[in-house]
Amino acid sequence: MKPAMSVRYMLRESRGMQGRILFFVVCLGIGVAAIVCVAGLGAGIEAGIRREARQMLAADLSIRGFREPTSELLEFLDARPGISRTSVKEMITMIATPGRAGAPGRSQLVELKAVGKDYPFYGELQIEPPSLLGRLLSETSAVGAPDLLARLSLASGDPILIGGKTFTLEGTVKSEPDRLGGAFSLGPRLLISEAGLERSGLERVGSRILRRTLVKLPEGSRAEAAEELAEELRGIVGNQGIYRIETFADAQPALRRGLRRIERFLALVALLSLLIGGIGVAQTVRAWLAGRMDAIAILRCLGMRPREVVILYLGQTAALSLIGSLLGVGLGTLILIFISDLLAGYLPVTGFEAFQPGAIFRGLVLGVGVALLFGLEPLLEIRKVPPLRVFQRSLEPPRPTRAWRLAMLSCLLAGVWLTASVQGQSLWRGGLFAGGVAVASLGLAIAGTSLIKLIGRFPLRGSAVWLRYGLKSLARPGAPTLSSLVALGLGVLFVVGMSLIERTLSTGLRAELPANVPNSFLIDVQPTQWNEVEKLLRAKQATSIDSVPVVSARLAAIDGKPIGELAESMGEGKKSWALTREQRLTYAQELQADNTIVEGALWSLDGIPEVSVELDFARDLGVELGSVLRLDIQGAEIDLTVSSLRTVDWESFGINFFLVVEPGVLESAPQVRLAAANLPAAREQEIQDALAMQFPNISLIRIREVLEKIAAVLSRLGLGVQFLGGFTVVAGLIILTGAVTATSLRRGREIALLRALGSTRRDIIAMFLVEHAILGGIAGVIGSLGGSLLAWTVVTKGFEMSWVAHPKFLLSAILVSVILTSATSIAAGWPALSRSPMEVFRGES
Amino acid sequence: MNPSPHIEVRRLTKRYPSGGSSITVLNEVDLSINRGDSVAIVGPSGSGKSTLLALIAGLERPTSGEVYLDGRRITDLSEDELAILRRRSIGFVFQSFQLLSNLTARENVLLPLELAGCTHRESRVDALLSEVGLQERGHHYPSQLSGGEQQRVAVARAFATSPPILLADEPTGNLDSATGSLILEMMRHLRVEIGSTLVLVTHDPEVAKITDRVVRLQDGRVTSDAAGGTQV
Repeated sequence: MKPAMSVRYMLRESRGMQGRILFFVVCLGIGVAAIVCVAGLGAGIEAGIRREARQMLAADLSIRGFREPTSELLEFLDARPGISRTSVKEMITMIATPGRAGAPGRSQLVELKAVGKDYPFYGELQIEPPSLLGRLLSETSAVGAPDLLARLSLASGDPILIGGKTFTLEGTVKSEPDRLGGAFSLGPRLLISEAGLERSGLERVGSRILRRTLVKLPEGSRAEAAEELAEELRGIVGNQGIYRIETFADAQPALRRGLRRIERFLALVALLSLLIGGIGVAQTVRAWLAGRMDAIAILRCLGMRPREVVILYLGQTAALSLIGSLLGVGLGTLILIFISDLLAGYLPVTGFEAFQPGAIFRGLVLGVGVALLFGLEPLLEIRKVPPLRVFQRSLEPPRPTRAWRLAMLSCLLAGVWLTASVQGQSLWRGGLFAGGVAVASLGLAIAGTSLIKLIGRFPLRGSAVWLRYGLKSLARPGAPTLSSLVALGLGVLFVVGMSLIERTLSTGLRAELPANVPNSFLIDVQPTQWNEVEKLLRAKQATSIDSVPVVSARLAAIDGKPIGELAESMGEGKKSWALTREQRLTYAQELQADNTIVEGALWSLDGIPEVSVELDFARDLGVELGSVLRLDIQGAEIDLTVSSLRTVDWESFGINFFLVVEPGVLESAPQVRLAAANLPAAREQEIQDALAMQFPNISLIRIREVLEKIAAVLSRLGLGVQFLGGFTVVAGLIILTGAVTATSLRRGREIALLRALGSTRRDIIAMFLVEHAILGGIAGVIGSLGGSLLAWTVVTKGFEMSWVAHPKFLLSAILVSVILTSATSIAAGWPALSRSPMEVFRGES
Repeated sequence: MNPSPHIEVRRLTKRYPSGGSSITVLNEVDLSINRGDSVAIVGPSGSGKSTLLALIAGLERPTSGEVYLDGRRITDLSEDELAILRRRSIGFVFQSFQLLSNLTARENVLLPLELAGCTHRESRVDALLSEVGLQERGHHYPSQLSGGEQQRVAVARAFATSPPILLADEPTGNLDSATGSLILEMMRHLRVEIGSTLVLVTHDPEVAKITDRVVRLQDGRVTSDAAGGTQV
């Protein structure tokens, strides 16, 4: 058969099936919209980051690290003609308003940023009143974020104390090109000059300051020039991971990596709604082909070959799925336009482009692919329609063999795996997702089959007609009970699972901290200050006071192998981070109670300096008992032998370290103290104010506030996930609508008969309600159980947090499932319910 | 030289499984039909008439025995080869019309021409519709036509490709006698014009009268084979 004829026949074949086309198209469109939404958001942000890369870096190239850039590095830069440089230093610190009459003023933890005079090279630093940054930021001036001014009731011109030195607040900072909107932060921004930081005295040994040297290339330089310079600089600083060199051409690799991780997860969530749509597609294609069996037999009789028949209907399915996918693309792009406005403040880029060709292409390919994947089995089965059916209408295609069904199921699973791997960007993640969906569907299918069997055996004699009829409808041959149950159940499972994860994590984070564990940390305490600080804390009734020395170091080598080489072989990721991070060491004779030695023994080697390593961290470093870690402490190198491995109960909130060194090794190294204490809730602010006045270099971090902020970020992400989860529920309900519409039309005659025999409309509604409330109830119960299992696994295994049951939430989820299912069924079945019996009978004659 | 028969059936047997045993519908039937002949297959319900027709058309496979069309054994052909054979050589008329409900009358007639890749399709369809008196109703769907009109469309479709063989299964079974006669007359006229070999299944002696030869089946066996018109 020629292609032109196929197309012609395809168009003729679609006549009179508008209702079915609509259902097919909507089923698919919802899922495709979700896919396009996620992919478009990801691609739009990524394109924005690339477009605004120079502004987001505020430079052509940046050298970032916790150590001062070496003089060799700076001299190299200064010797290059046409290159300008400036610096940015960022740290967490406490500031305060001046006290009155000896009493401390109000204090606040801030994210302090000290900038050089040319900052920023690109992008705009928006300051109110709009004025030259150079004038504003003298060595005594500062500008703060509006919420800092609000929290401390400050106005322009007011004095503030930074490191105990008085500065004048000259205005507010509205936005910085290199600070991400909506990003997690420990405190509001305070901006000062580099000279101001020097004057504050906060830059001292042990202070944790992130330093960036921003470099601007001569006007008109291309990305290659920045890359070349970066390579030369990498040659100078070496590959120990002390400095990270980034160019605008790299376009924020860490940020993009993080965003991609979120996108991968959301993309799988979106895929779930498309797969649920796929169930609807399979349902529609099966029903459609069942109605075309006579036509197929005639076509075979007229000389159409079996494969031509398959191609004909396959082509029609593909054409319909393309229409559905295009609709989904339109809907997805509309949603993107809407949410990009809604999320404007939280997106890391300013100009977000909702029209994303890549996302549209992905939506179309996945939409058509999933439709064909789910429609494949019924489509291939039509090869077997016997042409002899033209003589005997009762002839059906032979039942597929077990092997054939298994092959089709494997094909479906492989397809789901493939699409999930595309969405999750890894075969492993795709496999996990496909496995999870398969197990959940299997559970729902088993429950559905058992339900049908159980109802078949249920002694219903003597019960009310509406009850008997409603129950039997679930078990009638050809009832779409199974597919509706799987579709609805998957939707419920996902939404319940995600809500429970978010609820449990938020509850855990917002729960009252136990009274006997530290609720605050004091950082950057100088060793000479500790006695006084401890005295102050005790005087203010703080309890569980603890303090340990902290030495900053970097790993130089493990068992003689330089860290640079080891990190390179690891690539980007957690292990490479473990090797190259700024290591924080402490030393102690005994370990804290929340530490347990699992291998080796503490300080058991004679005459050799030892280190005890936390078990997971040891795995990331790739070290074991007997390994030798060479540490670089401010230029001096020491070798430490791993003599014990230990586990730590991190939920205790005690001060704990990955690396604990034997006493007698680090005592003379430059160090600060880290302290923890439980502050009485009512006196937290008072203690913070007193500390800020007496010890302006010390920062107090309140765990409560940090956890609150994490919980807030989590609920923002949770909202996004639930928004997408909504698509899965909508997809499930649409499938139910389709199933109810199809069966209620088929049942039209029975309903008419029942009404002619005296059943009232109320009786018939009751039948519908019984049937669909049971369906919704079972989907709700199994979905909730599955969702709980999913959430439990993620919370206890993934986040290692304790599980909190939410029985009321689960009950309400089941109830909502019952109500939504029943309401949808009544709405979809209404046309059949409202036809008069005579109308139905006359239509048949 | 004696030309080979157009349709030849040798020791054709068809059994269907039924429970543990099987039912024999056709039992070693031999039949030979020459080119251009018209043959009526008659017999009571269940005698195997339609099964014989289906086996000749290659719509079903025999349990044993052979079917030859134009000297070519079709019992070994694949499904695809059978389909191509049907589209080129066989036209069908069924008792229940078997029109495609989502195609107009015109499109139903056009379909076999398209499948066979014929040229001048539109003019052929015009001629056929006019021949069956439906030139004005070509744009109507089957549901908008009466039973007789539907069967006229089916006759036009059957003759569209001028097939050498025409198989008809109770073509007047669902029609009143006047309409039935009209259909038979149209079939006769077109068959003569094209020179097709006709095999017609019927239980109606009046219908059998239009053929040259009447073969009677009973319990799957040929019980009589005589000249048509009067011997039924």
